[in-house]
Amino acid sequence: MEPAIRLRGLHKRFGDTVAVADLDLDIAAGEFFSMLGPSGSGKTTVLRVIAGFEQPTAGTVELFGKDVTALAPFARPVNTVFQDYALFPHLSVIANVEYGLRVAGVGRRERRAQAEEALASVRLAGLEDRRPHELSGGQRQRVALARAVVLRPQALLLDEPLGALDLKLREQMQVELKELQRSLGITFIFVTHDQDEALTLSDRVAVFDAGRVVQLGTPREVYDHPRNPFIASFVGSSTLLEPAIAEAFGLPAVATAVRPERVTLDAPAGGVRGTIAEVIYTGPEHRIVVDLEGLGTRITALEPNMGAAHERRRGDAVTVAIDPAGAAALESEAPAA
Amino acid sequence: MQLGRVARWVLGGITTVVLALIYLPLGVVFLNSISTSESLTWPPPGFTLEWWRRAMHSEGAFEALGMSVMVALAASAIALVLGTLAAMALSRHRFFGKESVNLLIVLPIALPGIVTGIALNNAFRTLMGVQLAVWTLIIAHATFCIVTVYNNAFARLNASGTRLEEASMDLGAGLFTTFRLVTFPHLKSALMAGGLLAFALSFDEIIVTTFTAGTGVTTLPLWILQNMFRPNQAPVVAVIAVILAVVSVVPLAIAQRLTAKDAEAVSR
Repeated sequence: MEPAIRLRGLHKRFGDTVAVADLDLDIAAGEFFSMLGPSGSGKTTVLRVIAGFEQPTAGTVELFGKDVTALAPFARPVNTVFQDYALFPHLSVIANVEYGLRVAGVGRRERRAQAEEALASVRLAGLEDRRPHELSGGQRQRVALARAVVLRPQALLLDEPLGALDLKLREQMQVELKELQRSLGITFIFVTHDQDEALTLSDRVAVFDAGRVVQLGTPREVYDHPRNPFIASFVGSSTLLEPAIAEAFGLPAVATAVRPERVTLDAPAGGVRGTIAEVIYTGPEHRIVVDLEGLGTRITALEPNMGAAHERRRGDAVTVAIDPAGAAALESEAPAA
Repeated sequence: MQLGRVARWVLGGITTVVLALIYLPLGVVFLNSISTSESLTWPPPGFTLEWWRRAMHSEGAFEALGMSVMVALAASAIALVLGTLAAMALSRHRFFGKESVNLLIVLPIALPGIVTGIALNNAFRTLMGVQLAVWTLIIAHATFCIVTVYNNAFARLNASGTRLEEASMDLGAGLFTTFRLVTFPHLKSALMAGGLLAFALSFDEIIVTTFTAGTGVTTLPLWILQNMFRPNQAPVVAVIAVILAVVSVVPLAIAQRLTAKDAEAVSR
């Protein structure tokens, strides 16, 4: 099937800074696709190039088989939910949502009906006449969503849409976003620096670093098999093991990343002996740092909180083993951009 | 910061003296306008509304007032159009020499009026070979009126960034629709404030006016200067001065309130 969005040789320079370097990317229709990376990694620039706010220095943008590289934002069949929502402060909620229909020349009654439906779909019915500044952050977020989806775009671009919300609201909005995407059946391109959000929501994740996609795959592929040390530590947390240390655990002698939940502390035999250096209580689980005997390094393990009676103590001796299926062999550090 | 009692008294005293120095003379002008003395003497021997009555019937003064209002309106209108365009260009686009253009636009307000006056006078008469008239005066005023409009619009555009315009374009609006539905409504109060300031600046301008007004073109400040030292006219001049003060202060106050209210709305 033809991809919804196809980027070819996309390159963007700002002065001397390379924001995006030779990017090729295909995003399928109906996919929830996340672009994950630290700030300055180029993910937002890619989104802005797709939306048409930035012209690429080189390369092409195709939307549904049509080259739109030279088209202005208003001529592209995509809409954006902005990081700070960018609601029009001088317009009421309903007028904000109607805006796109209004400039498209949709009749007054028709656009009112559609806008009300969109507001209802984000559970904001009844707030039509408020001004944006009278709304909470979460409500503004929903208005921004309604304003974009009312136009029935072929793809929705979301630029860190949940970044300004507090944790509880963010978790709730994640669920709603996912439901919205399913019910609309359109492509969502989601930019975030929050790995949790990317893993939770996405069909596929592209991890960005220094203007390049360093790994592309399903959340499980990216989390379980990070390709390099950057990804292993940016997406979730990992202990990075030198080849010699990996070998001591019976793993192939290459640089390896190990997720803490794949580390066992009471291995029956053949484990590496160690002493607990730190026990960190996080509520649902304990994060346990172990000094590995004779190896001069530490490893972190994660254990579920089974009650005070089972709590480990600093100085306890343990036998550490790593689930070989949970260890990811790393390529050497990504080439410098 | 906490100040000691002495410091507070001293600072309060200084503030009082400075404000008194500025505003007492204004009060004196007002007293003169209702004093029975024909020369501006102190203290006024008695009070009368005669000068106000005479001022109301002074054709020269009213013609001058009309001229001033007309020039100020025209100069402000020019400033509004050009200042907005310049602010849009400088806040929304990158181009060669942008910083210099910014400086060149703002400079007229810092230039001594006498320099602007001489320069424009020369340009009009020698370079362009035209007679000084009303339109030369309007253009001269527009040069510094643009600054207040431009500054206000530029500050507003920079504070809001391009996000609202991007949102508008993203939702399908072209450049002009975006300006009409988003940029202009957002700029309106800033333009209003800038325009009112421009009006006030032009209304009481005298130095540039002296050099660029054609013969027979008498603005209110010019009229005052010409009549100030004529016998029997001094109290009438005082009346006009009071009117001038009120006419200049009101737009300033409105402009200030508009800016404050909007800064609040934008920051929310």
